[in-house]
Amino acid sequence: MSLGLLYKDELRGYYKSKTMIVLFVGMPLISIFMHFLQPDAEGIPISTLVALLVASLGGTLSSVMLSTTVVNEKSRHVYELFLIRPIKRFHLLLAKFLAVYTCLLIGTIFSLSIGLTIDYFTLEIPLDVILEGAADSLVISLAAMAISCSMGLLIGVLTNSVMLAAILAIYAGNQFSMLAVLPGVILETLDPVLFSLAIGLSATIVIMGINYFVFEKKQF
Amino acid sequence: MTPIVNNSPVIELHNVSKQYQNGSGTITKALQDVSFSIHRGEIFGLIGPNGAGKTTTIKILVGLIHDFEGQVIKASQNREIYKILGYLPQEAGFQEWRTVNHALTTFGLLSGIPKEHLPQQITEILTQVGLNDVLNKKIMHLSGGMQQKLRLAQALLHHPEILILDEPMTGLDPTSRFQMKTIIGKLAAAGITILFSSHILSDVEDIATRIGILNYGKMLTIGTTAELQAEFQIGNEIAIEGPHSSQLTSSFNDIDGVESVSQRSVSHLRIRLTPDTDVNAAMAAIMQTILDNNCKVHHINLVKPSLEEVYLKYVGGTVA
Repeated sequence: MSLGLLYKDELRGYYKSKTMIVLFVGMPLISIFMHFLQPDAEGIPISTLVALLVASLGGTLSSVMLSTTVVNEKSRHVYELFLIRPIKRFHLLLAKFLAVYTCLLIGTIFSLSIGLTIDYFTLEIPLDVILEGAADSLVISLAAMAISCSMGLLIGVLTNSVMLAAILAIYAGNQFSMLAVLPGVILETLDPVLFSLAIGLSATIVIMGINYFVFEKKQF
Repeated sequence: MTPIVNNSPVIELHNVSKQYQNGSGTITKALQDVSFSIHRGEIFGLIGPNGAGKTTTIKILVGLIHDFEGQVIKASQNREIYKILGYLPQEAGFQEWRTVNHALTTFGLLSGIPKEHLPQQITEILTQVGLNDVLNKKIMHLSGGMQQKLRLAQALLHHPEILILDEPMTGLDPTSRFQMKTIIGKLAAAGITILFSSHILSDVEDIATRIGILNYGKMLTIGTTAELQAEFQIGNEIAIEGPHSSQLTSSFNDIDGVESVSQRSVSHLRIRLTPDTDVNAAMAAIMQTILDNNCKVHHINLVKPSLEEVYLKYVGGTVA
């Protein structure tokens, strides 16, 4: 019960935050700009390029936002008011993860839809091929962003400085998420979608597991 | 309104100890065999210097610290602890994006209050703590005093039997402090048992029915202000305001029962009596001395030993 409530609560908080405005407005704008900046991307659909950019930008944003939020809330003793009530500690983190991930999902789908629309009117590639490519890109993006979000939480749980958390989230959190993207793109023998799905899921579960143990042991 | 205290303990701590280990392996004993009980309807004040173990004691009581030695017994043991306890943490912040209504709704729902009862309950609690007309304000726009009242409101929202307040008066201006003390007094009169910690000894003296002095993780003593004063045998003081001479000062020193005479300012003298001195007899002798020396005195009054003096005796290093 508490997870659902906390999730809705966090969603409301993140949804109204300035960072999410960047996500909801900025990412779709990238789709449009990409079309004008890169009208001929060697035949690569705009939707695919957008998905990769969104995975990187959205992942960085969410990682920085989650890490700095957790550090800030720890230092301001926000969690004490929650932990004296009948909730599971880990639900506080899980709710944040799910809320940010939901926002990312909405932003990504919105951006990709714009990219797809542009592709549909500008490319001479059949629609089903474009859709298949977009779906693949969406899965890869979401896998990378899941790693970014969980890394953001881990950095937030482990560090006590907002500045350090932001730097680590930019340089470590986001780079780590590329584990789900780059091997599948570089190595032809790998199925990029299956690979990113497997890596994204397993890495996220492992990192969230570490978050669970560290957060449970934290003294508030 | 006076709190009605009965002798049934609602909280008992038996030999509670807690130690912390820092990164370099150094162990700090935060609490050492602390035992005390709090009775129903009581306002128990916990005082002690920084690092004495007040917050650790409170966090153990509210269940934020689980790994400690000893035993904590709460009267309503068969009920979930969150239902009987209300807690105002020392420095807890709210998430900045929340409004007052949103924060209290969330905490109310998490405390198990039915959604349909919440609006009325929130309005009542905000009125009770003196926070009217802020329901839809963002918390970040509230003053420090208002935020402290909001912390109290979230602690009271589910009508707890026991209220635990960690430094509730810290950072408040004199008006807000007075309001907070009034609210605490009214809550105790309504039957809520209250434990609070504070650095402000005059506030503790004003509202606590019993006081515990904690230092270096040890409970040094427990009692009412009068009991603590009696235990320490601190004598009364007589304050004299008016022009005086060195001859008058030395004459006071010759009176039976006078322990010392100190000059606080040009026109203020303080005469400390020994603890067993008959105050009336000493006062009469002092008045006679003043008349004999032909001095003019503006004010003369009896000053009872303050909690501050008792506290300093314990914490200032004279008692371990």
